[in-house]
Amino acid sequence: MTRFGEPIRRWFALAPALFVTGLLFGTSLVYGLGQSFGFLPLIGETSLRLDAYADVLGGSAGREFWPALGFSLWVSGASTFLAAGGALLVAVALSDRRTPARGAEMFALNANLALPHMVWAVALLLLLAQSGLVARIAAALGLISGPSEFPVLVRDRYGLGIILHYVGKEIPFLALIVLAVLRTQGRAYDQVAATLGAGWWQRRLRVTLPLVLPGLAAGALLVFAYVFSAYEVPALLGVRYPRALAVLALDYFLNPDLGRRAEGMAISVVMTLVVVGVAGTARALERKA
Amino acid sequence: MHIRMVTRIGLTLLAVILAACGVPSASQPAPSAAPPAPTVAAPQATPALNIDDWASVEAAARGQTVNWYLWGGSDSINRFVDEFYGTALKERYDITLNRVPVADTVDAVNQVLSEKEAGRDPGAVDLIWINGENFLSLKQADMLLPDWSRRIPNARLVNWDNPAVNLDFGEPVEGYESPWSSAQFQLIYDSARMGEDELPRSYAELLAWATANPGRFTYIAPGPGAFQGTRFIKGALFELSGGAEQWLPFEQALWDEHSPALWAYLNELKPYLWREGETYPKDENELHGLFANGEVDFSITQAIAGAGPLITEGLAPETARAFVFDDFMIGDFNYVAIPKNAPNKAAARVLANLLLEPELQAAQILPENGFGLGYAIDVTRVTDEDQRTALAEAQTQLGAAATPAADLAASLVGDSAGEYQTLVEEGWRQRVLIGAEQ
Repeated sequence: MTRFGEPIRRWFALAPALFVTGLLFGTSLVYGLGQSFGFLPLIGETSLRLDAYADVLGGSAGREFWPALGFSLWVSGASTFLAAGGALLVAVALSDRRTPARGAEMFALNANLALPHMVWAVALLLLLAQSGLVARIAAALGLISGPSEFPVLVRDRYGLGIILHYVGKEIPFLALIVLAVLRTQGRAYDQVAATLGAGWWQRRLRVTLPLVLPGLAAGALLVFAYVFSAYEVPALLGVRYPRALAVLALDYFLNPDLGRRAEGMAISVVMTLVVVGVAGTARALERKA
Repeated sequence: MHIRMVTRIGLTLLAVILAACGVPSASQPAPSAAPPAPTVAAPQATPALNIDDWASVEAAARGQTVNWYLWGGSDSINRFVDEFYGTALKERYDITLNRVPVADTVDAVNQVLSEKEAGRDPGAVDLIWINGENFLSLKQADMLLPDWSRRIPNARLVNWDNPAVNLDFGEPVEGYESPWSSAQFQLIYDSARMGEDELPRSYAELLAWATANPGRFTYIAPGPGAFQGTRFIKGALFELSGGAEQWLPFEQALWDEHSPALWAYLNELKPYLWREGETYPKDENELHGLFANGEVDFSITQAIAGAGPLITEGLAPETARAFVFDDFMIGDFNYVAIPKNAPNKAAARVLANLLLEPELQAAQILPENGFGLGYAIDVTRVTDEDQRTALAEAQTQLGAAATPAADLAASLVGDSAGEYQTLVEEGWRQRVLIGAEQ
C-alpha cells in the first residue's frame, strides 16, 4: 500500500462509528442550539434571537438560573472532592495490605457500579427521609418522638442528600481507578522508598499520591461533569428551590408555554459548555499523565 | 482480499445507515412499560367522513383500534377504564381499546409535538385525557382536531353554557375537547387523628390552625403539572379578595390590587408549614405519602368520591375523610382531545361519545369502581327516567370518605381566567418560595 492508504483506511474504518455519533449527537446538539436561539417552528418561530440567553443570564429567569448554577457547582464540587478523598483512602487501605484485594472486596466495589443511580436515590429516600426507615427505628427506640425531630438529610436546602448519594456512589468508581493505577505501578517505588528509610506517611505522600493523582484527577473531573449535568438524583432528593441546573432546564422545557423551551435549551447549552470545559481539562491532565 | 474488506465495510455502513434511519421511530414510542404497536388505519378508506351523520362515524370506526393515551399512575383508574370502556367499545362498536399509560400527560403531549416536528401523519395517538396547560400547549401548536366535540350525539347532555365547561383553565374549549368528568378541590383529614369540629373551614381558620399546630400542614408547590397547589393558592386569593366571580375575566389592575395580600397571607403561613416552608411536596402523591406517614395532618384531593379511591388503593388510612372549607373550593372539568394526526379519528369520536353515556357516567363516580370523579354531563338533561334515577342514586352512594354533596355544592366556585395561572405560579415562586418580599 502507499503511505496515503493507511490514514484513509483508518478513517474509513472509523466512519460507521463517527457517522452514528455525528448523526445522533450532532443533530440533537444543532437542534438544541437552534431552540436556544428561539428557533421553534412548532409555534411558528423561525428567526434566530438571543432573547433566551438574555433572559437566563440577566432577565427574570436569571433569578433562578444563578442560584441554580451555584447549587449545581456546590453539589458537584463537594461530591467530587469527598468522593475522591474517600476513594483514595479506600484504595490505599486495600492495596496497603500484604495480600491484594480479594474477591469479596472487589465484588463490593464492582457491584455498586451495576446499581442504577435511581435505585440508590430511592433507597436513600426510603431510609433517610423524616418518615424513613431510620427515623422509624429511632422513634421505636425512643430517640425521637416524631418525624419532624429527625434531622433533614434528604430533600434539604443544601443538597446534603444529593451529595451523600454521589459520594456513596462514586467512591467505589474512583477507588477502582486508583486501584488499577496502583496495581500497574507495582510496589517497586514503595519498596525503594522504604529501604531508603521513608516512613508510612512519607511514602503515601511522596510516592503513592503522585502516582495516582493524574488518574484520580481525570476520574474526578469525569465525576464532576457527570454530577453537574445529572437530572434524576437532584430531582428526587432536591428541594423546590434552589434547584439543580438540569432540573431547572427540564422544567422550562416542559412548560406548557412552548416558547419557554428556548430558555430550557439555553440553560442546557450553558451546562454543555461547562461540561465540555471540564472534559477538556480532564483530557489535558490525562495527556500529562 | 482487498475487495472483500471494502464490501464488508460497505455492508457495515449500510447497516448503520439503516439502523440510524430506524432510530427516530425507536425513540418515539409511548413512555410505557410495554409500548403497544399503534395500529394505523389504512390511508383513510372513507375520504369524506360526515361527522354529522353519526351512523357513518360508527360504521367507519368498526374494527378500528383506538389508542387512548392517559395518565396511568393509578391502578384502580386503569382497571376502571379497561373494564368499563374497553368492554363496552368491543361489544357495542367492535372497537379495540388500546390504553396507553403515560407517567404524565405531558409525555403524550410531547409525543404529538415530536410527531408534528417529524412530519408524521398518521401519528400514534388517537385520544388524550387532557386539561389545563397541556390542552393549551397542543392548542398553541395547532395540533388538535377542531370543531368536533359539540357535534357528537351525547354533547347534548353537556351544559356548554357553563363557563366551567366551556373554559378549561380559562382557555376557551371551542370544540377542541369533550368533557369526561368533573372534579373539585377538597382537603383530606384522618378522622382517627382529629374530630370534625376541629377542622378549619376557611383560609383564615387554616392559618390559625397551622399556628397552633406548627409543621403539621403543607400544600403542593404550585406550578405546571401541579395544578392542585395552584388551586389552593387561588382559593386563598378568592377568600382574601372577597369573591371568585370577579376573577373570571382577566384584569391586571385587580391582580395588582389583591396579590400583595395573597403573598402576605402565604408568607405568614410559611413558618408554620411542614419543614417551615423550606420545601413543598411536588405533587399529589408526595403529599399523600406525607399524610399517610403522619408527617402532616391534611392532604388534598380532586375526587368527588373524596378519600375513597385513595383508601381503595391503600394510599390513605381507612379513617381518612374528605372535607371542604365553607367557600372557594374550585371545581372544574377534565376532557379528552383528538390530535390532528390521529390515525383512528372515527373510533376516537365514538369513545369520546361513550364516555358521556349516562350509565357509564353513573359508574365512574362510585368509589368502589376506582375512578371516583364527578359527572361531566348535566343530569337534568338526561331524558330517560331510569338513567336519571341511576345518576341521582350513585351520588348518594359515595360513602363516608367523601365530602357530603351539600358541602361540595355550597363551596363550589369556578376557576379564574387562564392568565392568572402563570401570575400565581411565577409570583408564588418569587415571593413565597424564594421569599423576596416586595
